Order: sequence, then C-alpha cells, then structure tokens
Amino acid sequence: MIDYLWLVFRVLVFPGFTFLLFLTMFCDWIERKIEARMQNRMGPSFTGPSGILQPLADFIKLLTKEEITPNDSRKYIFRFAPLFAFSVLVFALCFLPIDGTSVIPDASFGGDLIFVMALISVANFLLFLSGWSSSNPYSSIGAARVLTQFLGYDIPLFLLALAPAFLAGSLTIATIVDSQWIPFVVLAPWAFVLFIITMQAELEKDPFDIPHAESEVVAGHETEYSGGKLAFLKFARDVQIVFGSSLITVLFLGGANGPVFFGLQALWGTLWFVLKVVVIIIISEYMTVLFARLRIDQIVKANWKFMLPLSVLSLLLTIGLAVWVYPMV
Amino acid sequence: MANNDINILKVLEAKNFQIQPGKLGTVAIQAGGGKHRDALKALLEVDEKTAVTAITGIDLGDNIGVYYHVRTSNAFATIQCEVPKDKPTLATITDLVPGAAFHELEVTDLLGVVFVGHPSPGRFVLPDTWPEGVYPLRKDFKPSEIKFNPPSTEDVSLSDDRGLVKIVIGPHHPALLEPEKFAVLVDGETVKNVEPRIGYVHRGVEKAAESKTYLQGVYLVERICGICNSCHATAFVEAVEKILKTEVPPRAKYIRTIILELNRLHSHLLTLGHAGLEIGYETLFQYFWRDREPIMDLTEMVTGNRVISSSLTVGGVRRDIKETDIPKIKATLAALRKKIPFYKQMYENEPSLKMRMQKVGTLSREDALKLCVVGPVARGSGVDIDVRKDEPYEAYGEIPFKEIVYTAGDTWARMNVRMDEVEESINIIEYALDHLPGGAYRVKVPRVVPPGEAVNRVEAPRGELFYYVKSNGTAFPERVKVRTPTFANIPAFLKTAIGENIADVPPNFVSLDPCFSCTDR
Repeated sequence: MIDYLWLVFRVLVFPGFTFLLFLTMFCDWIERKIEARMQNRMGPSFTGPSGILQPLADFIKLLTKEEITPNDSRKYIFRFAPLFAFSVLVFALCFLPIDGTSVIPDASFGGDLIFVMALISVANFLLFLSGWSSSNPYSSIGAARVLTQFLGYDIPLFLLALAPAFLAGSLTIATIVDSQWIPFVVLAPWAFVLFIITMQAELEKDPFDIPHAESEVVAGHETEYSGGKLAFLKFARDVQIVFGSSLITVLFLGGANGPVFFGLQALWGTLWFVLKVVVIIIISEYMTVLFARLRIDQIVKANWKFMLPLSVLSLLLTIGLAVWVYPMV
Repeated sequence: MANNDINILKVLEAKNFQIQPGKLGTVAIQAGGGKHRDALKALLEVDEKTAVTAITGIDLGDNIGVYYHVRTSNAFATIQCEVPKDKPTLATITDLVPGAAFHELEVTDLLGVVFVGHPSPGRFVLPDTWPEGVYPLRKDFKPSEIKFNPPSTEDVSLSDDRGLVKIVIGPHHPALLEPEKFAVLVDGETVKNVEPRIGYVHRGVEKAAESKTYLQGVYLVERICGICNSCHATAFVEAVEKILKTEVPPRAKYIRTIILELNRLHSHLLTLGHAGLEIGYETLFQYFWRDREPIMDLTEMVTGNRVISSSLTVGGVRRDIKETDIPKIKATLAALRKKIPFYKQMYENEPSLKMRMQKVGTLSREDALKLCVVGPVARGSGVDIDVRKDEPYEAYGEIPFKEIVYTAGDTWARMNVRMDEVEESINIIEYALDHLPGGAYRVKVPRVVPPGEAVNRVEAPRGELFYYVKSNGTAFPERVKVRTPTFANIPAFLKTAIGENIADVPPNFVSLDPCFSCTDR
C-alpha cells in the first residue's frame, strides 16, 4: 500500500507532474529575464519577486480566455494535438533521472534513450498536425516549416546522442548517467557543442526560429489557436525547452550527479540537475539573443551540408576514442 | 555619370517646345494635344536620370490640368497639359517610364482622368465601395451627396486556378505597422506575384488643405507623417514662401536644417532597428531604439514637442534655439557618435544579419532609374540623387557633407546607406550649431498669398518629398499636391519581391522604410 502511495506521490508531485510544471515555469521565467536583460529591457518585474510568477499568471490568463475553433478546421486534431503534444513531452521527461532515478521507479529499460528520442519526434509531429489542421495559410506554412526543420535535424540529433551512448557502452539513460564520473562534456566536447546547436534547431529557437517567424507567418502553426488550447500549445513549447535542456544535462553533464553534503541524496541530486538545466538554458538563450533568424532554405542547407557530416565525423571520433584511447587512460 | 553639363532648356528649344523658363521648377513645358509624350521622350533621350517625380491633377474649371513633374540630373521640369472635363482622356506614359503607373492611377481615382493604355487600371486609393463618376478633388464635388455602393459579398479566394496559395500580408499583420495590403501569391515558399492595395488610411489631406488657411495648412501637412513631420512642414512652407517671394533669415534656415536632420536621425535609427525585428533579430531592435530615445529628447528640447514638432512657420521658425541648449545637444550627439562604430560593425560583419540581407531584394541601377525610386533606395542601387545636393534648400548649400551611395542594390546596401547617413546627419547638425548665424529667426509675412504656383522638393529621410502649391489670391490654397517618398518606392518592392523566398518579403519591404500614413495622405 505504501508503495503505491509513494508511486502516486512520485508521479503527481515530486519529481513528477507538479514539480515539472513549476520547473517549466521557472525555466520560462529565467529565459525571459535573461533575454530581457541582454536586450537592455526589464523583463517580467511585477508578478511576484522579480516577476517570477509571470509565466503562471500568463498561463492562468490564457485559460480564462474565449476559445475559438475555426469552422474549416479538423476539429478533433485541432482540439487534441496541443494536449497530446504536452502530455507526450511530460511523459518523455518522466524517463529522465531528475533526482537520481527516473520518475517512475524501475521504469528504465535497455534502450530507453531511443524511446525518449522517438517521443520528441512524435511531439514535433503533433505540433505539425496542430498547424495543419487549422486550415489557415499562415498555419499551413508554419506547419510545413516545422516538418521540414525537424525531419532534417532529427538525424544529426540521433547521431549525436549516440556519442554518450558509446562512451557509456549502453543505450540506457540510467547507465549513461551512472558512468559519468567524469561528465561526457569533458570527454567529447565536440559532440556537446554540436548537440546544443542541433537542439536549438529542434526547439525552434533563434537562429532557427523559422516556424514562428512572426513577421512572415504571424504565429506559424499557433495562428488559429486561442484560450486554453493556446495555453497548452505554449506550455508544450516551454516543456519542450526544459526537456531539451534536461536531455543535454543527462547525456553530457552527468544528470543529477554531484556532491552530497548532508541530508537526502535525492534533494541534492535535484538541485544539481536543476542548476545544470539552467546553465544549458542560459547558453541557449545567449545564442537566441546573438543571432538573426535564418531562412528555411539556409537552414535546410546548413543541416545537410554541415550538421549531418559533422555529426557523422563526431560519432566516428567518439567511437575511436571510446574503443582505443579512453580504456587505456 | 555626371550629366551636369546638359542644358535641358537648349534641348527643348531645339525641338520647338513651348517653354517658360523659371516656372514650376527650372522650366514649364506647354504640351497639350498629346505632345506630353514627345516632351518626356526628348528629356529621356538626353539624360538617363530623367524620372517622373509626380503627376498633379488640378481642376481648372472647364478643363483638368495634368502636370507631369519630371526631374533630370540637374533640373526640374513640369510638362503641362490640359484635358476637357467632359472627356478627360490622355495617353499613358507608363511605357516610357514604368514608375509613373501609380501616379496615373491616383490621378484617375481622384480626378477622373483616364490614361489610355495603362497596364493595370482599377481602384487604387479610394475604397472599393466608392461610387463611379465621383471624383473628390474636382471643385464641384459635394461630400454630402456620396452614396457608397454596398460592399462586395463575394468570398475572397485564397488560391488561384494554378493551385498557388495566396498569402495576404495586411491590412493587419505583425510585419506591417500600418494598414496596407499585399496579396502575395506563393508556390511553396517562393513568391510568384504581389498585388498591392493602399488607401486604408486615406484621410484626404490634399482636399482638406484647400479649406485651411496657409498657416493652418502647415499643421495639417505635418500630420501626414509622424516621423518625417518637419520635412512635410518644410516642403509646404518653402513652396508658400516661393509664391510670396519671402526671403527667410539665415538663422531660421540653420535652425530648420537642424530640425530636419534630427528628424532624419531618429527616422533612420527607427528603421535600422525595425529591420532587426523583421529578420528576427530582436536584440538589434532593442539597442537601436534605446539609442533613438535621446534624439527624441533633443527634438523636444529644440522644438518643444517630442514627435510632431510644429516648429516651422511661413517666414521662419516659431522658436529659437537657446544658447544654453547648444552644449547639451552636442553632448548627446557625441554620445551617439561613440556608438556608431559598433552598429556599423554589426551591419557590416554580423554573419546571420548578412545572410538575411545580402542579395535580398536586389534592384539594379537600370530598374532603379526606370521605376523612379528615390532616397536611400535609389542611393543603395548606385543612383546618386539627393535633393540636398542637387537643389540645395535651407542651409544645405553652405554645409559640407557626403552623399552616401552604395552600388549593391540589395537590402543590405539600402540599410548601410542609412547607417552612414546617421553619421553624416550628426556632422551636419554639429556644423550647423557651430556656424549658427545671429539675427532674427522669423519674418512677418502677409496672411493672404498672391496668385501663383510653386513646386518644391525636400529630401525626407525616405527620399525626395514633393509639394505643389497653387494659390488663387485668397487666404486658402487652390490646390496642394503631395507626393511622398514611399509612394514612389513601392514599385521597387513589387519588382524585387517576385521570385524570392517568402521569408525575404519582410526584410526587403522594410528596407524601403515604408510609411503608409504618408502614402495614403
């Protein structure tokens, strides 16, 4: 009985749903604040101390707004795509060992890295469907751009995610984290850099912010959305960013590994994990602020001409090192 | 190519045109009965930089006057012809000068002159519901008697018969700050065609000016455009002064120059930042607008108003510059000058910015001449026209400054013209402050203006701004014609957007520095 209660607590409260919800909002706030300060603005400042409650306020506000479903839209897909995208991403997050073990204890299985990566593709495809079902020219173009972008960048992302797998000698996330007594960012920094850039494209952040280019396609696939559905679509995007950063943390920065000074190991693990996620978010936000948005043809070209060959090279290099050099050290 | 030795008077005399030197620019050419095309051809033959600045339509009682204002590299001519009111038809000149297409459409809408052979006739400025046969700029027009047609209930098709998708940019769209519509036909992501429609905020300023006194008119025309308000005021005031034959005191000329350059400074900084927003470079936008703020404060200090300065008047300026303010202005400008190298480097070297701006919206020099574009758009394509140099007004003749010309013709070149002009503007203001003459800053002028007409050109931040003012001897003008720079620059966008990516539409468009409040008047 106590085991079941413990499971429910883990899934619903910590480190499950509620914790992830607040972590997402916290990361959103960090993102907005950093972007604003780098651009000489204030950023959120009024809701809560330094505006920390602003993402929550925005979410609640959107939930109270009127929802409009266009007549020509595919009603069911239009309605459920944002919800599914959101849940798939939260589900994927549950496989990452946030406090040392994954959210559902013993859920980790051999090859779950591939499963989690596949979930990102599914989530992206749901975002595409949300735009495609709205039957609006802006949404259609935005959706087509989502598809073009993630189809291209999924391949290098998979290849690059294999680098830590080879270093750890396993496709299981838990094993990858456990074998990082030296974080893999030290052993394979090239893969880390390429992974961050590819992740930036996967998360549709500047300079890869093409599906959302407001000066071209208004809000892209989100154009027809309003009210609660928009809230979930926006939230799905924020969860996606947290998920991306968490994946980088798990694969390259040693996840929840870190010194434990006193008390519960799980709390310290969570602290290290969140700190590492925040560092990744700061790096990614730095890139967002520094570059202009590129064009879709430039992005596609950059992918097939540079990212793909580079990720193959990075994989070969990592395998070579993992097989012949590192075992000797 | 320097064409300064061409004397259009001799050319026209040799071809037996009826000319009046010194009237409406350098020369007025009487060319009734279809001879307007011959006169234009004669000018086009001798000077490649011949371009139609504007076409003014004017109600002359039984006839309608159609005046073609033509600029050449060193002169400004007006080809005058008249058509009877009951059968107002005239041969088009769009085959000679493609850039005249919009001007002809406007005259058709507002005065009912039909240009035979126009490639794309139709409503342009007036709403689609406007009744046939009612022309607002004719003197017998009665606003109270307009009966609008019911709006069309047809569904607007979003794709054409070839299956191409029509993306409507505007009247409300995040890329456009003002209401105008461009229906962009796209094949995948490639633009196939662009249909413009303006007139969403047409306020009839030209008509309204006829019922205001000249002094009231200054405030009216200032409100045509919030950003380049002083340029509009200067253009109007100078035209009236030309009719009055008033000589403005030198101090007023210098103060006007300072106000005009402050206008240019904040307008250019605005566009340079706005371009960043259009290519998804928000940081650039925030930085430029932060540094634009002190210029707005300077405008307020010099004129008393932050945006619409209202500081010009017929016969001078309304407010003197205080001696104690001069060091403050110089300090602010020096602070801005320090930041220029950083921004210049951004525009010249930032790779992602260059990827989005270089080779986008390339307008060749030949097309720039044919389409009669003005200002930074022309100068970015290697056409060296700048009214401040070609026909110096106010104190520009006495102030040394460089004319910025780039030859690449793309979006990047147009933005760099503005970037360099920011620096020149700072130089001009500093020079003007150092050499500010003493004496009166305004002279008294009569309220009633003697009969006469005048044309005037001013280099607004967006390019050549043209005014035609006709007085009938009362306190109210008979006709005020305004041709704003954006109106002349839109054809460049329509030409260059075709065949490019839809993502190139916003940066290309913003590189014209479009102002639709100006265009609609």
